[in-house]
Amino acid sequence: MNKHEVISSGLLESYVLGTTSVEENELVHDLCIKHPSLTNEIELIEIALINYSSQDVAPINKEIKNKISDKIFSGTNTEAKIIPLTINDKSIRVYKLSIAASIVFVITSIIYVFSIQTKVNKLHGELSKTMAATTNLEQQLSSQQTALIVATSKLQILSDPKIKTVGLKGMNSLASISALIHWNTESDAVYFNASKLPATATDKQYQLWAIVDGKPVDIGVIDLLNDSTFQKMRSVKGAQSFAVTIEKTGGSNSPTMDTMCLLGNV
Amino acid sequence: MTKKITYNQDELINLIRQRNQRAFTFLYDNYSKALFGVINSIVNSQEEAEDVLQNTFVKIWNNFASYDESKGRLYTWMLNIARNLAIDSTRSKHEKIKSKIQSTSDTVYQKNNLYFDDIAHESIGIKTILGTLKEEHKIIIDLAYFEGYTQEEISKKLNLPLGTVKTKVRQAILTLRDLTKKEFFQ
Repeated sequence: MNKHEVISSGLLESYVLGTTSVEENELVHDLCIKHPSLTNEIELIEIALINYSSQDVAPINKEIKNKISDKIFSGTNTEAKIIPLTINDKSIRVYKLSIAASIVFVITSIIYVFSIQTKVNKLHGELSKTMAATTNLEQQLSSQQTALIVATSKLQILSDPKIKTVGLKGMNSLASISALIHWNTESDAVYFNASKLPATATDKQYQLWAIVDGKPVDIGVIDLLNDSTFQKMRSVKGAQSFAVTIEKTGGSNSPTMDTMCLLGNV
Repeated sequence: MTKKITYNQDELINLIRQRNQRAFTFLYDNYSKALFGVINSIVNSQEEAEDVLQNTFVKIWNNFASYDESKGRLYTWMLNIARNLAIDSTRSKHEKIKSKIQSTSDTVYQKNNLYFDDIAHESIGIKTILGTLKEEHKIIIDLAYFEGYTQEEISKKLNLPLGTVKTKVRQAILTLRDLTKKEFFQ
């Protein structure tokens, strides 16, 4: 068959209509390779048939295309998706759990840190108080020790059997005050001991005198730093009496008789 | 109205083999109407035709490995699938109806006659394009195109010599080609 015989035979129309036999199909295929223009003829027949059956067709529901697309593409996709989805599900669950655990941990930690901080603050306050108290106690202890040392030394001085105590009586403005003189008759040491002496004017000072053979001997000015005064004075021999006068600061060479305020005989 | 199809069958076949989504879109956009026309002429309702069209494209796509371009045109292969599914659908419906009404045993079920009658009724006045296609051509082309009758079967059915059938099929398609050409030039 030549090309024109093929075209006029109606074989190509049957071929496109799908009513040809397997042998006829193979024949057409071979002829198309031999005569490429036959393919063009076949396409024209095909287009004519396509246009014919497309004519006056009721509109196709637009959803059909999507339904087909879903069926042929989502089918393979869901298979491909399902596997990672289950994995995702698990890992999401793990993620969620670990995030929840982390949040709980962080919250617990914050609460714990706050409670510790509060305790630390409280303890810090207590520690400060305790330290202050300790300091206070230390100071007290220290002053007690000082007082003890003072008292011990006083006791040592006073318990000496050579000590002679002379009572001084207040005169004039100091009538209510009394004082003691502890005098070691062997070493001649003199201690002035008074619980309280009123303050003098700022330019004045108490001064102790020993009366030896009727003459006043200066044995020192009295320091009024503490409430009670226990003060070692200058040594003296053969005193018959002791007297305290108010003199200018630093003391005088001879007592002012007008200002004598304490006096006592041995 | 009529869309001109850009023919590049080999390229399209390759894209379908790659399961390319654009290939499906192209396939559907260019062939769904023509295949739907064929299906619609076989089945009885729009809904049924749409179901068959859907099954047709799913089958085209999923069974594409069985298509062999050396054994026929792509469109012809798709046309065969559409026709067979449409006929199956109608047959199963008829079977259901038949079993329901418990038809008598002497009922000879001849699918070709049955469907030919249906089509002959439905086709009247529907295909306006046939205004210029002779009625005898229309009957023959519908049998061949919509029903998949071979020329020998048409010859027997219409009691016409085979040579006449061949000529008429060719004449009918030539008329359709002229109409197509006219539309392009309009």
